[in-house]
Amino acid sequence: MMDVGGAVVGDTVLAGASGIRAPAEVFNSIFVAFLGLGTLVGVVVISYTLYNAYKYRYREDEDPAPGVDRPELGELPEGGGKGKKLFLSFGISAFIVLSLVIWTYASLLYVEGKPTEVQQNGGDVMTVEVDGFRFGWQFTYPNGAEANALRVPTDTVIDLSVTSRDVFHNFGIPELRAKADAIPGQTTNTWFVADEPGTYQANCYEICGEGHSGMTADVVVMNGSAFEEWYATTEPANASATDSAAGNGTDAAVSAPGALVPAHAGGAP
Amino acid sequence: MSHGEAGGHDFPPTSSVRRWFVTTNHKDIGILYTITALFFLVLGGVLAMLMRVQLWSPGASVLSAGAYNQAVSAHGLLMVFWFISPFAFGFANYLVPLQIGADDLAFPRLNAMSYWAYLFSGLLFVASFFQGGTFDGGWTMYAPLNLPTYMPNIGGTTVVLALIMFIAAVTMGSVNFLTTMYRMRAEGLRMRDLPMFSMSILLTVWMMLFAFAALLAALMILAAEHLFGVTYFSAEGGTLLWTHLFWFFGHPEVYIVFFPALGIMAECFQTFTGQRIVGRKWFVLAMVLVALQSFVVWMHHMFLTGINLEIKTLFMVTTIGISLPFDLMVFSLIYTMIKGRIRFTTPFLFSLGALVLFIIGGITGVFLGAVVLDYEFRGTYWVVAHFHYVMVGGATGLFAGIYYWFPKMTGRMYDEYLGKVHFALYFVGFNLLYFPLFVAWETPRRVFDYAPGLTSWHQVASVGGFVLGASFLVMFYNLFVSMATGEEVGDNPWEYSTTAEWAVSSPPPLENFPGEPSYAGGTLSFRDEPELTADGSGDGESAGAASTDGGVQTDGATAGGGTGLVGEPGTATPTAAGTGAVHADEEHADHASFWPFVVCFAGFLAFLGVSGIQSGGAYLGLTAVGGVLSAVGFVGLANESFHVPEPTVAEQWPFGGVENMKLGMWTFLASDVVLFGGFIGSYLFLRVANGWIDWHHEFIPEAHVTFPGLVNTYLLLASSFAVVLSLVAAHRDSSRGVVGALSLTWLLGVGFLINKGLEWQHLFHISTEAFPNGWNVGTNVASSTFYLTTGLHGAHVIVGLIMLVYMIPRAWKGAYLDDDSGIEYFGLYWHFVDIVWLFLFPLFYIL
Repeated sequence: MMDVGGAVVGDTVLAGASGIRAPAEVFNSIFVAFLGLGTLVGVVVISYTLYNAYKYRYREDEDPAPGVDRPELGELPEGGGKGKKLFLSFGISAFIVLSLVIWTYASLLYVEGKPTEVQQNGGDVMTVEVDGFRFGWQFTYPNGAEANALRVPTDTVIDLSVTSRDVFHNFGIPELRAKADAIPGQTTNTWFVADEPGTYQANCYEICGEGHSGMTADVVVMNGSAFEEWYATTEPANASATDSAAGNGTDAAVSAPGALVPAHAGGAP
Repeated sequence: MSHGEAGGHDFPPTSSVRRWFVTTNHKDIGILYTITALFFLVLGGVLAMLMRVQLWSPGASVLSAGAYNQAVSAHGLLMVFWFISPFAFGFANYLVPLQIGADDLAFPRLNAMSYWAYLFSGLLFVASFFQGGTFDGGWTMYAPLNLPTYMPNIGGTTVVLALIMFIAAVTMGSVNFLTTMYRMRAEGLRMRDLPMFSMSILLTVWMMLFAFAALLAALMILAAEHLFGVTYFSAEGGTLLWTHLFWFFGHPEVYIVFFPALGIMAECFQTFTGQRIVGRKWFVLAMVLVALQSFVVWMHHMFLTGINLEIKTLFMVTTIGISLPFDLMVFSLIYTMIKGRIRFTTPFLFSLGALVLFIIGGITGVFLGAVVLDYEFRGTYWVVAHFHYVMVGGATGLFAGIYYWFPKMTGRMYDEYLGKVHFALYFVGFNLLYFPLFVAWETPRRVFDYAPGLTSWHQVASVGGFVLGASFLVMFYNLFVSMATGEEVGDNPWEYSTTAEWAVSSPPPLENFPGEPSYAGGTLSFRDEPELTADGSGDGESAGAASTDGGVQTDGATAGGGTGLVGEPGTATPTAAGTGAVHADEEHADHASFWPFVVCFAGFLAFLGVSGIQSGGAYLGLTAVGGVLSAVGFVGLANESFHVPEPTVAEQWPFGGVENMKLGMWTFLASDVVLFGGFIGSYLFLRVANGWIDWHHEFIPEAHVTFPGLVNTYLLLASSFAVVLSLVAAHRDSSRGVVGALSLTWLLGVGFLINKGLEWQHLFHISTEAFPNGWNVGTNVASSTFYLTTGLHGAHVIVGLIMLVYMIPRAWKGAYLDDDSGIEYFGLYWHFVDIVWLFLFPLFYIL
């Protein structure tokens, strides 16, 4: 399952034109597998539990094990036998749990290392700095332009370099499965690849004060050429020509006149 | 040995209000804990219902954003600290002595103090709502939001102080339970024979002893940031420092919460299936493993904080590792049902329900252990749903306990039909509330404006919340009415129960047992008190036969000698050893003391005063009143005549030769080690984060030289030697020698403080280019770590000197000649304080 670089056959369908398997895909496939297995295990174990509870319910006249001597008041506990069946079940469950986690370890390595690897192979990685503050997000693009909304092209590795100007926040785009702590005084990273144009929402996932609930930002995914056009209009430290949110920490509304409208699903590359 | 219900002295009956303020009996205190905890359940629950009302639709404005944050944070803090563990300890207090065959806990007045400290810490929390709003940064209290810059309201500080007071309560409890369980077990009850509930409490208090000390370090530092302006969490690396300190505590805490419930579940499964726990020794081993492992998984709460991949991998492995013992325990309980004769009584329904809920919660926890998934689950409702399944699933086990032991505690049976109604409403409400939160998992935590598509799930959850809440009305009604009109029960209403509490009346008599409990014959029996008492040194497995060669009881009845410890039960009436056999009937246990209440009430006033001390005025007055009153209380405690007979025969492995007071002192010091460990670790962490070498050049003035530290080191070492001299003098029967040596210790200690004071004064008043306003407590991170850490040490020295002020006059009157244990305990403490200095000196003066 280890994906070490460019497109692998099974990946192409999932990875879009970039040939890179997005963290969203990684997450979704692992999540679904865990859900399936977890539900199965849960259903089996709980059913077995309830079955036994029912089967061995007290019946006045029937003792399922008349030979067994039952606990008596004042007795000392025995050493504890019947270990075999216990260890069998324990062994099986341990095996399942360990396999699941080891399987995910490969994906962890993938997710951790991908942007560096892509860069080393000469691929394109667009790094955007994300600054959290009470109560909004500011994005700084590679050319130095700043904005209150995150605009990215499709099929490109977007590397987010996240920090905070004040308290501990957390930046996450649920639909694109990107998440990073925003810690004052240090930078953390996350990355994603978006296959489809569209508008998504980023939220804050760490309580940061009264504005925490409304601390959102728009994430606009645009197809390549549309993005290039918009990017060309930005100026370092002054992308507000096109993203005219007041910068006072509210939702980043992207509706200045002349702003490029992102192409929606189905837009031509 | 059975005394009248009056228990000697004028011990009021349970119908009297006064009884409840002065009692030190473990059963009374257990009831106090249980009822108080239920009060906090209701308070925390109401806050939760307010949240669920707000969450009915996205962006509601039932509560303002600020009020919502307060509700969320207070809900978490109250439930985790003031409800769930104290509820468990209500049972622990009531049942552990009964289950192990002891008359009471080792230190009854300390036990009362731990209750009153708990209650008053909770009242302090409630007060915080009225001081500009309570703490509103989440129960995890992350930095920098927890700092005064972002939380200027006094209520925020009060919560920190309330938690500190709560930790005092918990630590007193841990010391007490550990000493009791190691030293006061019935003959023939080896450690491995402890009943499952007592075993779970034993492991719980071990974890508490160490985990809460780490939290105490974090909270003391945070309080100092609020009150004295130190710079720890606001310094470079400070944010991460808080997360490390908090989660190092926080992870063991969740097992501290769960273990008592696990113990109750095991007991209820055994009793109500009529089958002994399958693989009991593996079950116990699994619990021990979890207790140990709980201290090495904390960074799984920090996977997104930028720690490196190797560390993340390590903690992923340890986290998955800790789920494995739980697998074993779950299967053990399930297999216990096989070939059983299961009765679906209310306690069993709740235990079985707890198991099912815990299985679901545990499976979802495995998701969180896979780092790649955790990256996305961080800060979302998946985490919320997971921990409510496991934690409230645990609470479900505690509710099993209340039904299980209600007949024992009250002598009456609850209404079984209503119990089942409670369970049905509870189980349905629980799942209606928490399961949709998995489906709506993408909702960010502590947010009330969520994606509209998730609305119906939140609405189902809100309905579930109210159903769950309503189920408790049924419980309260049932228990309240049954106390008056329930069917009376005898000793043991439960077929197949095995533990000792079911062998005595319901409720048990004041002194617990009709004779001395013993398992020497392989099962529980009650011996009459022997006239000649056994040598209770407890070497090896069994304490041996009851009759001896006529030797004098060495280990049993309290001998004279004061206590060096403030707050420990003193025995001011010495029975000199060597007067021959002591008849147990002549020893009356004391059960009443007013001082624990006084001390803790004073503590409440003092902490309340300190919370607003920067505003002066009334707060300053409160602090002063509280301080004086607590001094009065401690003196009262120390001078009070309070008799605690030790068991004549007991299993005491492995502490056979270590009397209760000494074991208590060692236990307390163990937790103090972790406290200092937290401070020293914080210093090291911050120093590395700010540049180890640069630290000295950038943050520390030239005027901070080694010499004063060196002098202090010599002073302390000499003072330790002086304590040893006083012991020698005591052995030589020289009261003047004892007074002289202890006075020398005192003088050297005062010299230490004076030297330190001079040093600090000098540093406060330097004026250089780099430090124009002196090098003060809040100047920079280096000054903060220096003053706070050495200041904490200095506070320990002051406490020691206060103890000496109590001891020296007693030594003058010859108190320590026959029994020098008081000096020994003081010596332990004093040597500990010196050893800490030997670590601090190189760290803060040389490196």
